[in-house]
Amino acid sequence: MINLHLLYPEMVLAVMALGLIIAELFVAAKHSRILYHLAVLAAIIVLCLVGFTLSNPGQYQGLGTLWSVDPLSQFFKLLVLLATVLCLFLALDYKELPPKHAGIFLCLLLLSSCGMMFLVSSVDLLLTFIALELISISSFILTGFERRNKKSTEGAVKYFLFGAFSSGVMAYGISLFYGFTGGTRLIGLAHTGGPLFILAILLILLGFAFKASIAPMHFWVPDAYEGAPIPVTAFLSLAPKIATLGAMLRLFSVLLPASVLDLTALFALLATLTMTIGNFTAFFQNNVKRLLAYSSIAQAGYMLIGIVSGNTLGLEGILLYSFIYVGMNIGAFAVAQAVGSENSRPDSDPYALESFNGLARRSLGTALAMSFFLLSLSGIPPLAGFIGKFYIFSSAMQAGHYLLAAAGVINSVVSVYYYMRIVYHMFFKAAQTQAALPIGPYLFGSLAIATIAVIFFGIYPEPLIAGVKASAQYLP
Amino acid sequence: MYLLSLITFTPLIAAMIVLCLPKEKEKVIQIVSLAAGAVSFAFSLLLLPAFDKHTPAMQFIERFPWIPSLDVNYIMGIDGLSLPLVILTTFMTLLALIGSLGIKERIKEYFFWFLVLETGMLGVFEALDLVLFYFFWELTLVPMYFLIGIWGGPKKEFAAIKFFLYTLSGSVFMLLAILALYFNSTPNTFDMMALMNAHSLWSPRFQILVFLGFYLAFAIKVPAFPFHTWLPLAHVEAPTAVSVILAAVLLKMGVYGLLRISYGMLPAGFEWFLPMLIVIAVVNIVYGALCAMAQTDMKKMVAYSSVNHMGYCLLGVAGVSATGFSGAVLQMVNHGIITGSLFLLVGVIYDRAHTRDISAFGGLAARVPVYAALMSLACFASLGLPGLAGFISEFLCFLGAFPRWKVYTAIGVLGILTTAAFFLRMIEKVFLGPMNNKWTGMSDMNARELASVVPLTVVTVALGFWPRWALDFMNATMIHMAGLFNK
Repeated sequence: MINLHLLYPEMVLAVMALGLIIAELFVAAKHSRILYHLAVLAAIIVLCLVGFTLSNPGQYQGLGTLWSVDPLSQFFKLLVLLATVLCLFLALDYKELPPKHAGIFLCLLLLSSCGMMFLVSSVDLLLTFIALELISISSFILTGFERRNKKSTEGAVKYFLFGAFSSGVMAYGISLFYGFTGGTRLIGLAHTGGPLFILAILLILLGFAFKASIAPMHFWVPDAYEGAPIPVTAFLSLAPKIATLGAMLRLFSVLLPASVLDLTALFALLATLTMTIGNFTAFFQNNVKRLLAYSSIAQAGYMLIGIVSGNTLGLEGILLYSFIYVGMNIGAFAVAQAVGSENSRPDSDPYALESFNGLARRSLGTALAMSFFLLSLSGIPPLAGFIGKFYIFSSAMQAGHYLLAAAGVINSVVSVYYYMRIVYHMFFKAAQTQAALPIGPYLFGSLAIATIAVIFFGIYPEPLIAGVKASAQYLP
Repeated sequence: MYLLSLITFTPLIAAMIVLCLPKEKEKVIQIVSLAAGAVSFAFSLLLLPAFDKHTPAMQFIERFPWIPSLDVNYIMGIDGLSLPLVILTTFMTLLALIGSLGIKERIKEYFFWFLVLETGMLGVFEALDLVLFYFFWELTLVPMYFLIGIWGGPKKEFAAIKFFLYTLSGSVFMLLAILALYFNSTPNTFDMMALMNAHSLWSPRFQILVFLGFYLAFAIKVPAFPFHTWLPLAHVEAPTAVSVILAAVLLKMGVYGLLRISYGMLPAGFEWFLPMLIVIAVVNIVYGALCAMAQTDMKKMVAYSSVNHMGYCLLGVAGVSATGFSGAVLQMVNHGIITGSLFLLVGVIYDRAHTRDISAFGGLAARVPVYAALMSLACFASLGLPGLAGFISEFLCFLGAFPRWKVYTAIGVLGILTTAAFFLRMIEKVFLGPMNNKWTGMSDMNARELASVVPLTVVTVALGFWPRWALDFMNATMIHMAGLFNK
């Protein structure tokens, strides 16, 4: 049966991404913003296409040989595209990117998103691997895009070396998997067990852990995040992480549930480790990009709790948390970008926490919005992050993982300390200048969307939960 | 009539209006905030005539589905336990808002956070759904952090983050306890009224575990020994009006939770903890009083006297009798009023002298007679002089606890003695004795200060002579609650 039409959105996105490189030839560097707008348009068109597939599930959803197009994958695709659009908005107001290479930049960004769309649909390790490589290779280049910035290059190289290593590990795991099962397909894994199979799965898990920045595969995160241009940092902290968690969710909750291969204890350990390392290391960061990098590691840990629980609440919890995470993290990065780009003296670190000094005196609205994002990240009601944590911790309590839930809430308390450090600088410190913080129109757009989402879904999450419940269905 | 929602959300709406006003319009901001406080107070007074004193059931119930997919409902309601606290909150907030008119910098932010805080506090006493309760409980946290951290004293940043982390670490365990209750009730529910009747299905071991989760949150708020260390710091650093709210209302959330949730929903857990609770109550009373006696800073002294007075509340609760419960609730109200006025009065002298050191003053009674009279009255009320409000409630707490805990109650009486000692010492050092010439130019209280303190003094005297008026509102509920235990 030919069901290639299931992949129309991915194909359209790939074609448009490549089209952008060609378009670059015809657009002068000073008009490079046109290309950005085209990229936004492309992402929105594909967003609508994916949305359209939800309207007629009978025709536009189904199981292919390598991929499964179901509500679960469509949810993550929508989320990835949403994150892409918002990050493109951030990039539109970011001045450090070379306009000469706008086409390449955008093409890589869109191709990376395309890889994520494949990743969340994949039910075959072959496609999973190719999708991961598509994401990784694009991300390496994106990280090093500020060529004149040494940190950018450093981050890219570290990212690349670590990425190459973990790809190798994963490929080895896949080869073992092939040797054991005689194929790479993940559906219908019947007879499992045996040390070789477990080793294969563990190695594959390491490959995923690298992309989702789960401890102990998180070492690249702070350097890559610090070096990358901040719209790219925002992108890296959102889209690949969410897509990888989506793929892990499919593999470890749906295709390989605990009844077949019980990895609960391992995942509980990984979740605790990831949360704890992320939060406790974030304590000592004085650069807001690094701080948010460690915070994003910790956030991945919270989401892992959903996989540990392995119940419906856990599955829905991960979807819900991912959605909210996009809103609150993009908001935090948007403010960080506005603050960092204002103060670009070469002698000081523009992203140091001191750059936030007295923001409340200068632009109260922005400072309040940032506080809301940070409080939401730490899970304080009535903001959306609380609903996400509530759902995730509920799933752990329902499944009887009381200690894990306790570890989660203790981590939430710890995280408040460093999130509040930014608030401390914004509200308690005196400003060097009284002028309002300049905010570009696109950045403002991202910020406004994120603020409204974080507050609205915190107070009235019902529509979001209904959407998540509808999306928590999968094939096969 | 959505009276409870009106009371609760009027301040929040005003906070939104304040946020939209330009920060230069300071007068308008102050007027809007005061008006919101007054309207909220007026609405809460409307509860009094409509409240049925003869039933222990919840009244003024509002119920709407809020997050149906999680079984979370918006349920508000009050009974004889929460009514006094709701009125205390609106009353104290209004007076604290009047007291805040002296704030000079960042007025817009100040009133914004203050009004958000009021909504959170009111919601805690009215919410009858555990998730809603938790929402409001946490909503008090962030405004308090900013209020202490921006407008506080020299060590304000540290005090603010310590308060935040301390309280949050208690409340996250409450969240887990709430989830545990939800998953172990049939049908699964967050409805507090349903959960109060569900405990017969739960094993004592489960109840004890859940009790400990809740207890940590409440004990930190009360603050019960040994979780009281955040309180003196936060009190001393916070601006006057915020100290007032902290002492008068925020601490009450802990005792309220203890009565409403720990006692009401987890009787087996409560029974298991009772022998420890009475020890903690007595330690709070004696240790708090002794600490207060050792202070030279007036504000710190009042802060430790709060630890002591909350010990009386715990004593009343540990008595598990209608008398003890009534005493505890009345003590919450009285402590709010008396300590509120003490903090306001300490603020008055600090604004003039910029010191709160007891030994820095002397003979002030001749210089500022009105101030001296009001301060002495508040001190006498606080140390439990008959005829003033504090006496009745302390007496009821001791009376309620005596049948069950004779020895402990006897030890607790020592606390009263110590309280009298340090308050009298303060009055002597500040108002009597030879005049310290440094303060000959000190002016007496102005109209704004009188407006915020005198109502409290009036209520202190009124409740001292006519406590029955307040007790009548609680009686039915307290008798019902005490009856639950002996079954």
